[in-house]
Amino acid sequence: MKSMLRKFLMLIFTFFVVGNIVNVSAVDASPYISYNYDCWGDAVPSQAGYIANRTVSGDDIGVDSFSEPSDIFFDGDNFYVADTGNNRIVSIDGRLEKVSAVYEKFEMQDGSFTTLNRPEGVFVSDDIIYIADTQNSRILLVSHDSEVLAEITKPDSEIYDRNKTFLPKRVIADKAGNIYAVLGNITTGCAMFGKHGEFMGFYGANRVEPTAEFVVNYFRNIFMSDKKKARRKRQVPSAITGFDIRGDFIFTCTASSSVLSDMVKKLNSAGKNIFAERNVSFGDYKLKYDTSHYKIPDSSICDIDISESGNINCLDFSTGHIFQYDEECNLLFIMGTSAEQTGGFESPSAIESAGENIYVLDSRKNNITVFTLTSFGKTVHKAVEMYNTGYYAESLDLWYEVLRRDGNYTYAYNGTAFALLRKGDYKNSMKYARLAGNSELYNKAFEEYRSVFLKENSAKIFFVLLTAGITFTALRKIKKRGERRS
Amino acid sequence: MMNLTQKHWLKHAVTHIFEGFEDMRWKKSGSVKIAFFILILFFFAEIAHERLYGFQFYAVYDKTFNIIPYFIKSIVLFMAWTVGNWSVCTILDGEGTMKNIFIYSAYALVPYISQMYINTVLSHFLVRDEYVFMQMIEIMGTLWTAVLLFSAVKSVHQYTVLKTFSAVLLTVVAMFIMLVLLVLFMALVQQVYIFISTVYTEIVYRIRV
Repeated sequence: MKSMLRKFLMLIFTFFVVGNIVNVSAVDASPYISYNYDCWGDAVPSQAGYIANRTVSGDDIGVDSFSEPSDIFFDGDNFYVADTGNNRIVSIDGRLEKVSAVYEKFEMQDGSFTTLNRPEGVFVSDDIIYIADTQNSRILLVSHDSEVLAEITKPDSEIYDRNKTFLPKRVIADKAGNIYAVLGNITTGCAMFGKHGEFMGFYGANRVEPTAEFVVNYFRNIFMSDKKKARRKRQVPSAITGFDIRGDFIFTCTASSSVLSDMVKKLNSAGKNIFAERNVSFGDYKLKYDTSHYKIPDSSICDIDISESGNINCLDFSTGHIFQYDEECNLLFIMGTSAEQTGGFESPSAIESAGENIYVLDSRKNNITVFTLTSFGKTVHKAVEMYNTGYYAESLDLWYEVLRRDGNYTYAYNGTAFALLRKGDYKNSMKYARLAGNSELYNKAFEEYRSVFLKENSAKIFFVLLTAGITFTALRKIKKRGERRS
Repeated sequence: MMNLTQKHWLKHAVTHIFEGFEDMRWKKSGSVKIAFFILILFFFAEIAHERLYGFQFYAVYDKTFNIIPYFIKSIVLFMAWTVGNWSVCTILDGEGTMKNIFIYSAYALVPYISQMYINTVLSHFLVRDEYVFMQMIEIMGTLWTAVLLFSAVKSVHQYTVLKTFSAVLLTVVAMFIMLVLLVLFMALVQQVYIFISTVYTEIVYRIRV
């Protein structure tokens, strides 16, 4: 009896100790609870895929602190930060430890020198640095030795309205050397320039969403005089706010609280949006009331980045959330928040990825936050990569591992169900499809399961049906005979 | 001639769509008990049809369950029909009593309710490609009930076909009027409640100060 009591006490003691250890290790330092969406679009707690583990400011790398930096780019070796307030481009080594170059003054082709005026965008490709020199209304193509190779100013073209300003905010270049620029106040898409800076037109304009107001205005316009029409507010699409290039595709994002379509676009070389026909959505589904700002924030994705493995990272300016999607637009992780601590942002301005890390630039905190992949995140990435490249059977074990760590992870249920369907384990595929809330997948698995069941048991079913039929007719005859007799 | 039990009368009424209710009326048959039973089956059919449907056809949001919508869709709707029909047909020289309208209409619902149960069961054995069979059953059941309901109104009030049409239309209008009145009443009750609660709060504050 005594030993029993001792055992019991020991058990309780171990329980407490183990519980405490587990609790301690489970605490993560982020100023937010990481969440994800389940199949109903409800936010559920989730394992963190990324953790913010450090921030880098200008002082840390050996230059004066940044001032309102607005763009960051990684070219494979170095980071480039458009330090808007200090009118310079800062180049930092790949590990974000030491500055490698500062670009402030550039030598023009005629020998004179020029400086930047609030540059907001930077891009590097083929040893050319493309700088969106915003307040000087030009795009500069410079070499690493600070020599200006070309200067693109306001295009003199019939397509470009002379009354409009030319304020390049973001700039990218494709493999062929064509240059694309996001312009402030221009809603007809991004400007496209040839290799030598000649204006080629606009690219990838957003659509005007057919809202009720739009339809009403259309009918009103029929009855209006031209004079009156000219004075009316025109329906214009929202301007593109950020973009990134990966392979042959340009991804754009639009930070607009009113327009939900075209929030994120994947444009092919013809300027056609590949996501348009697919029913995909980006950003938060239902936003919670923000107690520190006394309102429900609007989702507005201000910058986009495509990582090397093809994942799409979207930065939400108003909430500080970063959404990571795989190339098929399935939500993988949500991280970040608006807060003062590491992992939170005050005014996030740009996002960039290098290897497995994600870097976010904050223009009010004047620093770069580094997010590193957790082991959970690694497992998910590996599973998704296998799954999206068609190695369904190989991805199965990884999906199980993901589910073991986070039972709320909906995408893993979908992945498991599909992998099991491919494997021929229809019964379990049905089970996981149901957990994923995916009725279409369930339908497929069920169809297979049913046909297998019918094939295996056709003899039994036939026998049962036959017996039932015979019994039924016999009983009926007996009953009828009984009635006739009475 | 036609000495049937109540159960057989139900079968007779449902299977003989044109003269079944006439025969029932002539024999003064029909049971309130069975009618109530049908109504309860209707209520459960609504729930089953929404909640127990095969997952391959649609995924139902199963985090919460609210019974009120099902109650309104079945029992409240049926009662509104009965009361509406009675109030309209009393003015239009109908011969039916409230009890008879209730019984006949409930009997007329049988094909529709059966269709719901059959489809709920079938949805577990069929796949999406075979949905057309379920659709066929659904259309058949609904049409059958529509004809039966029409026939029930016709025979319970001893109307001509044309008059039955107008009676059915007016019943639907009456149901809408009831709905409007209900909404008005709810709004009024809410106003009164707010008034009383405000006065109460005011008094409580005065006493305290």
